[in-house]
Amino acid sequence: VAREPNPVDVWRGLALVTIFITHIPGLWWEFATHRNYSFSDAAELFVFLAGWSMRRIADGRGQPAPLGQLMLRLGVRATQLYAAQIFLTMLAIAFVAAAALLFQEPLVLEFNNTAAVFTDPVQAHVGLMLLSHQLGYFDILPLYVVLMVFAPFMVAIDRLSTALLVAISASMYFLALATGTNLPTWPVQGVWYFNPLAWQFIFVLGFVLAREARPGRRIGDAVPHLRWAAWVLVIAAAVANRTGTFPDPLLVPEPTLLFVVDKTYLTPLRLIQFLALVVAAAPLYPIIARVLPAVARYGAALGRNSLPVFCVGSLASLAGQITRFILGSGLWQDTLILVAGLVALRFTAWVVEWRSRSRDAASEA
Amino acid sequence: MAEQITGRRIRGLSLAAAALLCGQALAQASADQPAPGVAATSPAALSGVVMPPAPDADAPHGAGPCAVPGAANAVAAPLTHVAAHLRESRSIRVLAIGSSSTVGVGASSPRSNYTARLEHELEATFRGLDVVIVNRGVSGEMAAATARRLRTEVALHQPDLVLWQVGTNDALARVSPDEFRDTLADTLRWIRSNGTDVVLVGLQYTRRLARDEHYLRIKEVVREVAAQEGVPLVRRFEAMQHIATVRAQQNLLALDDFHLNDLGYQCMAEHIARAIVASIFVRPAARGAPTARAEQRSPSPAPAR
Repeated sequence: VAREPNPVDVWRGLALVTIFITHIPGLWWEFATHRNYSFSDAAELFVFLAGWSMRRIADGRGQPAPLGQLMLRLGVRATQLYAAQIFLTMLAIAFVAAAALLFQEPLVLEFNNTAAVFTDPVQAHVGLMLLSHQLGYFDILPLYVVLMVFAPFMVAIDRLSTALLVAISASMYFLALATGTNLPTWPVQGVWYFNPLAWQFIFVLGFVLAREARPGRRIGDAVPHLRWAAWVLVIAAAVANRTGTFPDPLLVPEPTLLFVVDKTYLTPLRLIQFLALVVAAAPLYPIIARVLPAVARYGAALGRNSLPVFCVGSLASLAGQITRFILGSGLWQDTLILVAGLVALRFTAWVVEWRSRSRDAASEA
Repeated sequence: MAEQITGRRIRGLSLAAAALLCGQALAQASADQPAPGVAATSPAALSGVVMPPAPDADAPHGAGPCAVPGAANAVAAPLTHVAAHLRESRSIRVLAIGSSSTVGVGASSPRSNYTARLEHELEATFRGLDVVIVNRGVSGEMAAATARRLRTEVALHQPDLVLWQVGTNDALARVSPDEFRDTLADTLRWIRSNGTDVVLVGLQYTRRLARDEHYLRIKEVVREVAAQEGVPLVRRFEAMQHIATVRAQQNLLALDDFHLNDLGYQCMAEHIARAIVASIFVRPAARGAPTARAEQRSPSPAPAR
């Protein structure tokens, strides 16, 4: 039986819908996503909640899961994510190729960094396998794979000492930012869009803050007192975003990355603003659940099935991009794309749950 | 307003640069034998970098597979920071940012992509100059995403010149022209307010898209913004169209008929190098107006040829 709507699922559902929308550049409805009023965006929410859920997996029901079992389980999860990434990437490449053939427009082959696959296939395929060649907008699962591979170490260190885990994670984060270190991409010269050395920090923070015991509980108790401060920060960031007043990367002191707003390196301004947003927005959940129960149910359905929904959402975004190329842009086209996408996401969640329901029924019979 | 290169003098300016750049041998020859007085009065006199002769109206038309008339090549506008920098330094840092033409998709090897060739072209033209190009192209990226990335990259690499290849993907993704215009103008203003020069590299040409209304509008926006901000623009669409029309047998595209092949990248590099050289010799107009045709005269006596 599917679990009841809960904050984690609903917020994750929101992140999934947001990612679907923002991955169609220029879509009219994009104005409604929170990245226009914030330093952070849905990516922070998604990775933070992944860390949060990792706590539930690690702590198990009642008693902590044995480490060996956990390693196996997370290894399977990493493999699943890797498989999903390869599968998605291949479908995306085929989508792009089909669109180029169908509309006789070779420029389409350039969509989302697919070009190297067609023109530099030998190197590009090795790069796809190594995750060093990532298609545009298909770059978050590689981060997840890396996080999952290292998650057993995270859990093991956490069991020794949570403080030690935070210290290691924070040092890695600040070191990466101070030195501008990131993983390289290949064969296309560049760096990972989601720098795992930086983004692991928010994953670990989610994991630590979800803890029932200290320090999670203590921080949780402090949250109501922080609410006003958080709202001030959130509003200040919204004003800064709307007026375009970001710290000028050339005027800030060194090391630059500690003071600018940058997604690849998940810079402190983004991180702090995101944490403030969590504190400020958390009390909104009960209100949503009460006033708009349908929205909560919708979000929860997506959030419960985040991997398949994410996969379908990624492909739906790409289909949306191609649709806009053909139909042109405009409010009705964009609304059509949005509605079709939202239906596709909900349908995906339904199919997955229907499958597991029928499997359960079959095993009971 | 930056003028299109339509004036006789300015067209000549670009044509002369074309002559200089259109063949390695030619460029080398002109660098080997600088005209008397050129090095002494050219912008780079102090650093010891040997400048090419200033482009001149009476220079012969460029030759070679990439030659295009000046009007189809670029809109020149002053590169004051680069010109000043050349006076004091023997090296120049360039940040190349944009999408797949910047990445070098379709080239036979990284040595053949446009930045590698551009480095070569510029080093051959300005003898003694060390050109360092950092390539941060992401294939298929829209201007808004590039604009966000660009700020951090500029801060991390502190280039003297930013080469921004822009527009093709936004046109295909049907990004609204107004939104595109704002992104482009804001970002250009930011780059230049920090004393860094920028050269825009415009949209590509394909026969089908030459009839696509939205595509042409985005192309027009790039031209307008470049003119309004006084930023040099390499008019790739016109240059590629010219070559496609005049020398149809010559294939600039890779086998997939879209991505540039090695010759395509060579031409792109030559066109950009030409625009840079032409723009270095353009003087800023008085009182802050980005350019004025009357002010554009070569800083050194034009060599007789």
